[in-house]
Amino acid sequence: MRDFGGRDAAGGGLLLLVACLLVALAAYALPRPIAGDVVAAIRRTFLRPVVALQERAERDRTSRFRLGEIQAERDSLALQLLADSALRSENAQLRAMLAIRPRPTPRWTPVEILHQTTPTDARALLVGSGSDEGLARFQPVITPTGLLGYIWSVGPRAAAVLTWMHPDWRASAVTGDGAVMGILAPVTVGSSGHALLELRGVALRDSLPLGTLVFTSGLGGVYPRMLPVGRVSGVTADPLGYERRYLVSPFANPATASHALVLTEPVDPRIATVPAVDSAP
Amino acid sequence: MSNVWTGEGPRRRRASDKLRVTIVSGIVVLMEFYLRPSLVEGRGMPDFLLLALLLLCLRLSPGAAALAGLVVGLVLDILSPARFGANMLAHVLLGSGAAWGRAVFFADNLAVNSGVFFVGTGVRNLLVLGLSGSALARLGLEATLWGPLQGFTTAMVGVVVVLLFREWLAIRIER
Repeated sequence: MRDFGGRDAAGGGLLLLVACLLVALAAYALPRPIAGDVVAAIRRTFLRPVVALQERAERDRTSRFRLGEIQAERDSLALQLLADSALRSENAQLRAMLAIRPRPTPRWTPVEILHQTTPTDARALLVGSGSDEGLARFQPVITPTGLLGYIWSVGPRAAAVLTWMHPDWRASAVTGDGAVMGILAPVTVGSSGHALLELRGVALRDSLPLGTLVFTSGLGGVYPRMLPVGRVSGVTADPLGYERRYLVSPFANPATASHALVLTEPVDPRIATVPAVDSAP
Repeated sequence: MSNVWTGEGPRRRRASDKLRVTIVSGIVVLMEFYLRPSLVEGRGMPDFLLLALLLLCLRLSPGAAALAGLVVGLVLDILSPARFGANMLAHVLLGSGAAWGRAVFFADNLAVNSGVFFVGTGVRNLLVLGLSGSALARLGLEATLWGPLQGFTTAMVGVVVVLLFREWLAIRIER
């Protein structure tokens, strides 16, 4: 008879532990696209009730604690729209006189951000909307204050957003006057561990004063032009001395954002779409 | 009937104990996915899922605890996929470590349980951040500020859970 409480049980436990470690290591070594597919598949099947429950909780919290804040935001927006109405009317008349076509209005989907308690939550956010609401991979995600990131993986009812805090995140950026361009990448600053962005690849001849606003440049086809990203807050040294690097304090904080907008329409009609393989000559 | 001991009593008791711990863990998981997000958000909030894992792992063998850690880690990797597999690895190590520590070192009382919740949260956070490729400064901030803060809140909730369900969890309060 087997001794289930003795050496056999201990051996079985060790075997189970080693098997679990091997599975975890295999998952850790998965390439990012495959991992994204696995994440989306499990999220839309086994974890669907969990996401729905958390989304419901988020809605309850918003209606319970944030109603006053939302009403204040709506009132401020209404006042601003009233103040800008004359300007918009003049702009439309000028465009008509110069035969410039109207600026395309971006389509967007509002999403609720479902925060988790893990320390890496701000790098990859879960949102309670998915392909059923028109979300797709690589769509930009913004908050009222600025750029947050892009859709990394998507399922029917939920999606994951790769934010600017993620080590793999990059964006092409430009200053407000369009004179200086560079690439934005996340950095951890000093001993405080504060997360900021770094504007890299700025030519040595260009210098930026502190407080300069930084926007997306529209290059790369993921983010549209002139989405506000942040403000120049410092200078860092390039270890090779070939370029200037600036610290940028982002406007949007992924750790505290509760709602966001996903731009679902092709955001810049000037960006050519890549032809499908079948239609290629 | 006969006075021969058949082992049915203790076996049935062991099964009911496991059922009770599973029920308590289930309540804690519900708190993670409904109660916490419907009340408050932000860094340093108690991690109910980790609390449920530690409550389970303190009553399981290291192998079974590793399996529980794998499942919890997978759930967290799906919900917060900053680096797929990092949570799985961290929770497997944490779960089996807690079960092994319980078998070898830990006494079964309230203070030790709350200490396990506090240290376990901090260690988990450092493991996940380290495996996700965080900078050293970020790890330092986690070790000195956010980790202890979340460990404290998790331990406080853990103490309340243990006090509420002390009979079910069979934890000695007086020592």
